[in-house]
Amino acid sequence: MGIYDIIFWILSAIAVSCALGVILSRNPVNSVMFLILTFFAISGHYILMNAQFLAIVNIIVYAGAIMVLFLFVIMLMNLNADVEPQKGQLVQLAGVISGGVLFLVVLAAIKTARPMEIDQTSTEIGLIDNLGKVLFTKFVLPFEISSVLFLSAMIGAIVIGKKEDTKQQGLQKDNN
Amino acid sequence: MKAIIATTIFGIIMMFTSVMVSNKKSVAAIAVALFAVLLGVNIFELYTWNHAATPGPQLCYGMLTLDHTNLWFNTLMTGCTLLYALLMTKEIQKVGAYVAEYFALIFFILCGLYLLSSFNNLLMLFIGIEILSIPQYILAGSDKRNLKSSEASLKYFLMGSFTTGILLMGITLIYGAARSFNTADLVAILHTDTLNPLALAGIMFLMIALAFKVSAAPMHMWTPDVYDGSPTPFTAYMSTIVKAAAFFAFLRLFKDAFGNLSDHWRLVMAVITAATLLVGNITAVFQQSVKRMLAYSSIAQAGFMLFAILASNSKSWDSIILYGVAYSVATIGMFAVLVKLKDYTYDGFNGLAKKEPLLAFAATIFLFSLAGIPLTGGFMAKYYVLLAVVQQGSLLWLVIFALLMAAVSVYYYFRVIMAMYFKPGEAELNSPVSATDKMLLLVTCLVVILLGVLPQLVLG
Repeated sequence: MGIYDIIFWILSAIAVSCALGVILSRNPVNSVMFLILTFFAISGHYILMNAQFLAIVNIIVYAGAIMVLFLFVIMLMNLNADVEPQKGQLVQLAGVISGGVLFLVVLAAIKTARPMEIDQTSTEIGLIDNLGKVLFTKFVLPFEISSVLFLSAMIGAIVIGKKEDTKQQGLQKDNN
Repeated sequence: MKAIIATTIFGIIMMFTSVMVSNKKSVAAIAVALFAVLLGVNIFELYTWNHAATPGPQLCYGMLTLDHTNLWFNTLMTGCTLLYALLMTKEIQKVGAYVAEYFALIFFILCGLYLLSSFNNLLMLFIGIEILSIPQYILAGSDKRNLKSSEASLKYFLMGSFTTGILLMGITLIYGAARSFNTADLVAILHTDTLNPLALAGIMFLMIALAFKVSAAPMHMWTPDVYDGSPTPFTAYMSTIVKAAAFFAFLRLFKDAFGNLSDHWRLVMAVITAATLLVGNITAVFQQSVKRMLAYSSIAQAGFMLFAILASNSKSWDSIILYGVAYSVATIGMFAVLVKLKDYTYDGFNGLAKKEPLLAFAATIFLFSLAGIPLTGGFMAKYYVLLAVVQQGSLLWLVIFALLMAAVSVYYYFRVIMAMYFKPGEAELNSPVSATDKMLLLVTCLVVILLGVLPQLVLG
């Protein structure tokens, strides 16, 4: 077992145990903290696969930006156990059954999967120049078309966020 | 491809219109003109497309595939959108201050529709579904003074985001099993005898996510609240053209990519179909508001459209296109009548036939079509989807069940007709019905009847 394997197993253990911490901790702030740790462990996996750029983006975007937003929302909403809606027993039972079935399926899949060796040397897809090349050749259409998605989200921010009265008054003036 | 670029540009033009043009009426007129141009672009693309081969050639490194079927579907749906814009233009202006933005969002929804009709890659499926959904969340909440509209928007957004997670999980599992996003590769790699359980789980996840988008039971819980709470003109769009687009994508994925594996998913799909028909039709019977009844009726109609996916044979494309168009035209027409009324309950329709005979007549034709009475588009559409399943052969019990449920649906559709023609009362109108409205409603009626007499027009 080389150094690569040792680091891989340590990171995996951190990732899995932190992911469990996300769903098992009662306090939502703790959940977010565990999630950040999970992202860091996964970023470590990216670095192991020679994908430094993805690792950094993962930390900046997910662990940095999105998780900070999460924390803000949770703190502003002031969640604690008292305001949490109580689930009925039937819902809990349904959740356990469907979750258990999914767990069984994934377990079956992993059991039949052939153990694959990750090629540690030749993967260079996560490097920034390769990523850029792929993004602007093979995946150029999804890359460009997602701008429409962001454009409609921006319109949404205007339509929902902006005060309506001011514009309507302006319109009425124009019509008069 | 031309249509995708055109609709995006038109959406951006509408955004600029919001700054340049302050009069709501001229904004709406520009939008309608642009929809007409977009229809022209689609027709142009359809006729200049000289590849007769199916499957069509792949574009952009296998992201999209264009063939006659999906170009024809795009053209028809753009035509329906134009009809919708003409019928609803006044009502859209009443929703709020941001008329230009609403139209821009509808152009972007059309962009999602074009992607969904021609995707050849699970990545494009995901982006198409998102481009289709996010404008809808916004349109649902566009009536900000109405608390129900905000509730609808939030509910739709939360449930929709959760479903997006399920969709992505499904795509990930399939990628894990097949190591490809391309549907052509999926057909080659995924075989029934050596099927990885991961792929099977992925197919189930994708089925759940897409069933949510088309509001099939048991993923239909959001539908009544969202359709009821959203501003009525946008409910009309969400429950018709968007739903048809989601069905086209559903069929494309399950016929083209997972068609070989139909032994694995057909039974699940049959159960979903039966549940959708049962829940949609039975619950619609107990509604007091016509708008809410139409929401449940859209669930019931989704049950019939699921038959095209269950069949997954050569008849499927024709039947989903015909059903999509017939259902969209009739429902848009019905909503166009509904927005004219002040009271959306059944009692609000009392005595409409005496006050506005033409409005009542048009509504009757649309309801006939939705119920599937012969000589209307709805009958032919139901006939074709059921025919597709009968030819497939193994699900006769479901066909009989669907016919029973269609009989149930006659009850709640005819309740509206009863109220209009046989009950005394004074139906109050929201706004006077202009001559243009009457003409457009007559044209819509004509389309519905034409579809019932000559379905070949749509079947290309």
